[in-house]
Amino acid sequence: MSDRYTRRDVLEISARGVALVGLGGLGSLLAVKAHGDDAWWIDPGKCVNSRLGALGVEACQSCATECVLPLSAVRAVNDFASCGRCYICPAYFDIHSAVGPDGLPSKTLCPRDAIKREPIGWIDPDDPANNYYEYTIDESLCNGCGLCVMGCKEPAGLGSIKLEVRHDVCLACNRCSISTACPEDAYERLPTT
Amino acid sequence: MRARRMAVTTVIALVLASIPLATSAVHALPTASPAAADPAPASQVPYTRPVDMAPDEEAIGEGYVTPEVQRPLPRSVWWQIFDLALLAAALGGAAWIVLSRRSRAAALALTVGCLAYFGFFREGCVCPIGSIQNVTTAIVDPNYAVPVYVIATFILPLAAALLFGRVFCSGVCALGAIQELVLLKPIEVPRRLDRFLASFRWIYLAVAIGFVILPAASRDFVICRFDPFVGFFRFTGTFHMLFLGGAFLVLGIFVGRPYCRYLCPYGALLSAFSRYAWKSVSITPDRELDCGLCSKACPYGAIEEMRAVRTSCLSCARCYGSCPVHRPAEPAGAQPRGSAAA
Repeated sequence: MSDRYTRRDVLEISARGVALVGLGGLGSLLAVKAHGDDAWWIDPGKCVNSRLGALGVEACQSCATECVLPLSAVRAVNDFASCGRCYICPAYFDIHSAVGPDGLPSKTLCPRDAIKREPIGWIDPDDPANNYYEYTIDESLCNGCGLCVMGCKEPAGLGSIKLEVRHDVCLACNRCSISTACPEDAYERLPTT
Repeated sequence: MRARRMAVTTVIALVLASIPLATSAVHALPTASPAAADPAPASQVPYTRPVDMAPDEEAIGEGYVTPEVQRPLPRSVWWQIFDLALLAAALGGAAWIVLSRRSRAAALALTVGCLAYFGFFREGCVCPIGSIQNVTTAIVDPNYAVPVYVIATFILPLAAALLFGRVFCSGVCALGAIQELVLLKPIEVPRRLDRFLASFRWIYLAVAIGFVILPAASRDFVICRFDPFVGFFRFTGTFHMLFLGGAFLVLGIFVGRPYCRYLCPYGALLSAFSRYAWKSVSITPDRELDCGLCSKACPYGAIEEMRAVRTSCLSCARCYGSCPVHRPAEPAGAQPRGSAAA
């Protein structure tokens, strides 16, 4: 390489400089309005499992079956403050199953046994039906199938269980495959604040 | 016969009818408790909800406090920082391996490492190829913003291309890496066909940008939709994605990196940027012999007139093996022709 820069070299160096500055400028421009992160969000007003008020309607299980992860990033979440703490929870028990000898339905609804039932508060030593029960969802087992959400809807339940996307697990794909499959178009991509 | 059948039917009906009476007798409850159980048998009596609203904490008693609703932890920013650092290190490492160390074995090791991490472990997302769409949307749509992580993923390989050529393609890109590993019997694509097919990258780039500048409701991320290899990284996918991926891999056994050379929109950008690269592949370490022994070594058709062409050179480091000057310890001519893989 000679010491003198040819015209071609000068052009090349300037093009490189312009491109670098351009990249830096683009990066800064976008970074100014960048936010921390964004993630998929289920609109509970649109999700069919949270919305329809009829017993016996089949639960849409897309949130469990469509996610590209082996265990879906969607979880059922119980809003404890609005939960009825019922002795026979229509989301915990399958209220269409036959009643067992203890008066409780014989089958539970969750196919993965992710809901845990614990008596809370003042416990009646004689009559278990007289207690309040807390229903907690074990997030390591829940796969977001929505059967419990369907069970908890009006009129059987108070509608305190909803489906939520767990954005620490969710890959935030540009094309969420659950979003594509959702029959109610309930998925939206929003910034996580 | 008929009488006996009638008698049996009546007995069964009586037994069934007595079940609700028996159960409600057993479960007579004090009226003070709102959590009344009404255990109805399956299809006889419909389930009625015992409460109309959630009980408050005093009614539950014993100092009960409503627990916090379960929330996920925010996505860890350390993972993102780590990924970006690893990307930068891999780009730097690729540049060093290809331009300074000049070793095909090291390049192959980097390829396998990046395929394992960025491909199978991180499942291919977030990738610079897809980030074109996010960055374009962020430029065009004032309501759409992307995290800094995605911006950096877009810019780092382009900046590396300005400095060192297409080192991202060298094996840092997981999609390129998987094609590198299946290239076993490369055939030479005629020059004019190669140029013609390479123009499809720009068409795909235009199509991808076109779909992404649509308003939010009709926006479609086509690069992600038609990503051939992400199905393999995730071990799951629709039939068309897996079929497309399989077809590209089968083609890739014979035609070197077909997605990279003819379809990758990010490759189009990289080839434009690497045209002005500060340092790029020169096959001989100090001067060209013009012997032409390297010209058949490149499976990607990037050696023209015995020089590496910056815009199509994918920095795979295969050509060095054929250069007699590169290994001065062995006599020229006895040099084994660089084989396709390692």
